[in-house]
Amino acid sequence: MPDENPISVLLVDDEEAFREALARRLARKGLSVVTAPGGVPALERLSGPPVDVVVLDVKMPDLDGLSVLAQIKQAWPLTEVIMLSGHADLPTSITGLENGAFDYMLKPTPLDELLDKIRDAWEKKAVAEKKIAALRASAPGA
Amino acid sequence: MAGWWQKLRRLVREDEPPADEAGLSEEFKARYLSFRKLLAANNKALELMAEMEAAAGGGRVFGMSFLRARATALGVSVFTMASQLERLAPGKYPGLLPRLKQIQNRLEDILAPAEAPDGDDLVLPLAGLDQRRADEAGAKMANLGEMRNRLGLRVPPGFVITAAAWRLLLESSRLGEEIWRLQQAADMENAAELFTLSSRLRQLIVQAPLPPALEEALERAYASLAQEAGGPVRVSLRSSAIGEDSAEASFAGQYATQLNVAPEFLASTYQEVAASFFNPQAMHYRLMRGLRDDQLAMAVGCLAMVGGVSGGVAYSVNPLDPADRSVHLTAAWGLPRMVVDGEAAGDRFVLSREEPPGVLVRVVEDKQSELVCRAEEGVCRLELTGERAGQPCLSDEQAVEVARAALELEAHYGAPQDVEWAYDQQGRLVLLQCRPLRPAESGHAAPASATPGGSRPEPLLGGGVTASPGSGAGPVHWVAKDADALTFPPGAVLALSRPSPRWAVLAGKASALVSARGGAAGHLATVCREYGVPALFSLGPDLERLEQGAEVTVDASGRAVYPGRVEGLDSGGTDRPGLLAHSPVRRLLGSALEVIVPLTLLDPDSTEFEPQRAQSLHDITRFCHEKSVKEMFAFGKEHRFPRRAAKQLYYKVPMQWWVLDLEDGLAHEVSGKYVKLEDIACTPMLAVWEGMTAIPWEGPPAMSGRGLASVLFEATANPNLTTGVKTRYANRNYFMIARHFMNLQSRFGFHFCAVEALAGPRRRENYLSFSFKGGAADSARRLARVRFVGEILQARGFALEMSEDNLRARVERAAQESILDAVKVVGYLLMHTRQLDMVMADPRSVAYYREKIEKDLDRLAAGEAAPAA
Repeated sequence: MPDENPISVLLVDDEEAFREALARRLARKGLSVVTAPGGVPALERLSGPPVDVVVLDVKMPDLDGLSVLAQIKQAWPLTEVIMLSGHADLPTSITGLENGAFDYMLKPTPLDELLDKIRDAWEKKAVAEKKIAALRASAPGA
Repeated sequence: MAGWWQKLRRLVREDEPPADEAGLSEEFKARYLSFRKLLAANNKALELMAEMEAAAGGGRVFGMSFLRARATALGVSVFTMASQLERLAPGKYPGLLPRLKQIQNRLEDILAPAEAPDGDDLVLPLAGLDQRRADEAGAKMANLGEMRNRLGLRVPPGFVITAAAWRLLLESSRLGEEIWRLQQAADMENAAELFTLSSRLRQLIVQAPLPPALEEALERAYASLAQEAGGPVRVSLRSSAIGEDSAEASFAGQYATQLNVAPEFLASTYQEVAASFFNPQAMHYRLMRGLRDDQLAMAVGCLAMVGGVSGGVAYSVNPLDPADRSVHLTAAWGLPRMVVDGEAAGDRFVLSREEPPGVLVRVVEDKQSELVCRAEEGVCRLELTGERAGQPCLSDEQAVEVARAALELEAHYGAPQDVEWAYDQQGRLVLLQCRPLRPAESGHAAPASATPGGSRPEPLLGGGVTASPGSGAGPVHWVAKDADALTFPPGAVLALSRPSPRWAVLAGKASALVSARGGAAGHLATVCREYGVPALFSLGPDLERLEQGAEVTVDASGRAVYPGRVEGLDSGGTDRPGLLAHSPVRRLLGSALEVIVPLTLLDPDSTEFEPQRAQSLHDITRFCHEKSVKEMFAFGKEHRFPRRAAKQLYYKVPMQWWVLDLEDGLAHEVSGKYVKLEDIACTPMLAVWEGMTAIPWEGPPAMSGRGLASVLFEATANPNLTTGVKTRYANRNYFMIARHFMNLQSRFGFHFCAVEALAGPRRRENYLSFSFKGGAADSARRLARVRFVGEILQARGFALEMSEDNLRARVERAAQESILDAVKVVGYLLMHTRQLDMVMADPRSVAYYREKIEKDLDRLAAGEAAPAA
């Protein structure tokens, strides 16, 4: 990934120690990372400068991760969301994927695996954006 | 959750392929991303299935959190495959997602958390309990109720804080969820992580605010206990876990007991005792036994404190030798805790089981201390001086009374029993606990000492008490504190100054246990017998002579410790077959695997290869993989825009292979209908080509003069075409390529082969999969050929799966270069499969060609073979 245009990631988790440690490690790998301690602040943050990939906890006291996912996919459909959960729960994970999550990963996840997933999600977003650009260019009257 | 399938369909259908070329090109890229994601999910699914199968086969211990995490990850992978296939071919496989949903539901049902048992009383008085309420009160308290209410035996007044109370505590402040989360993230086989996790979980329980309903229930229950006892009393709080003390799992000493608790500390002490559910030794024990933590709960018994004059343990048979039917008692002055914890060997009595029982053996120890209730709270140890130290702490009449009670309980329950008892200040026998007695595992019980080996060295130590029979050898490892436990090497001899139940965590890893103190009646001794680990206790201060790291042999049955390894006595190791074999968690994994692994969709060309017929998640993965490859190629063929069209491979002449570039598989843009080798940038394709062409086959049959190109051409010629029947096989020879990826589907002679390889910078995602089947030969020759190829691949590190004349071989998680080397091996074999048929016709030549092929492959690996021009 070119350093002048790093992937921007929003990391959402209510467990502060985990969130900040992971944010530091991702930033050291060249990602541009911002954090949010819960679902509500995450949605507020998304209204600001654009974010490529959201890494989203599932169980949070203020707003459930699945509802946050639904709202993100509604308002920012191109933003990719990776669910990162401490709860091994099959129905929740499938619901997450059905509602448009890029992937559903279980904690603990090795950093390189998460990093690769973030890059894949970013790539999917980039391709989707180009496709839309191509559609616009070919649309009549454009 | 209803309606999500429709939602998904809408989602994936949003993007219909656009008509113009720029849009088509982006669509092609997006499809490739989907395909890649599907392949990665396929890889992950196969890996998870292999891991789960390996766990079921033994060799590792695992708990519910392992099972849930793997099943969830697998569900995510398989669903990802199905939804990406739907993305590649919208609406084309309408049966797929519904069928997957059905299979997933079956898996969910199997793994669903156990239903909470009936009963929502937070507290139950002992007066209303018997065995039938063990689900609410735990076996220990239910048994005590049974003794009181059905047998009329004397037990202390009291009540039990039930499983419903435990569940309420966990549900309040979402404690339960947090506990699962923490357990999932930890590797419990790692002692350091186990200790950290245990301390965190116990803190959570102790610090949780007590739900008001529970607090009130406790107050009311204590008030009526005080009334029954005739005034304010101290109490003892004892764990009474649900699932504890069943014959299958004894849970000896895994949990806490608090003695002489003042009423103002009742609530906080309850939480302390409940928290011992997460004691390291308890968590380890559950893991070793494969118990389902989601089916277990912690009830706590609250009994009026018996300030005993003497107390101890009674076994209704000899715990070391179930064939010895005499009753065994161990007794100490003061509270029975000294004996139960294994701190003191105590006085020992052996009684006959006739009526009345007769005292057969009486061993009176010189007792050093006793445990008594303190005036304030808790208990303390008092030094014994003077006459009492040397006096028996039971009269013969009392020993007979205890033995009778033990035999009565054995008769009632129909199995040998382990009974804790005390004599109170009024001289009355009070029973405190009763549970099935688990005799020693027979595996290590072989009386090795009975064979007087001629060359046995002089023992370092002798005597002591056999706490668990058998023998074992290893380096001495002393453990006095947690830090020592973390460095305990598997297979070592665990040396202790006192046998605290805390070290049960290590018992499963030790080859033998030795302790300066303690006897056969302690909890640690019980655990050793259950695990089949030899243990020799009460060796006295001389034990300190054992040096850390020195190799010794412990003969627990023969009561001796020898220097070095003594042949014939060193067999006891860490191998504990059968410990988990029929455990609840393993049974559950077995049922789960039935909807995960069996493969029924075997033949992609069969009309029965359809999603509705899928029986397992494996079937779904096989289906999705097969169809995704087809869809990817079909799209490249159908949309004939010049940059992305499939091109025919030209190698001296046009070959019967078509090449479809998915992304960056070509070194540069190629115009026209042909693609040449020098246009190819795909590393796996170049590797497979190198393998195919590096070493020409030397016969039989001898290479004809027409050269390699014609051999290559012939190799892929479709035998069906020669009969004039054009079948769909005609278009099945192709390479789909990207920079680091290749999927090759091809006929070689009569065989159908598929090779798929990813050799990129992400080592974790790399793989090579090779499948090979069919062939025109009788079944014996086909089988011989598959075995022949399989042996060669296995010798080169491939994992194999063979069924009839099908062979599937995989290499996973390897570095880029290793994958490419493996691809070369496959390339070589592909080219020579035709000739292999002829080799197989003559069994005598098999050995010769095996050797030749091994040599060729060695040359290929060393890069010595020059590719044919």
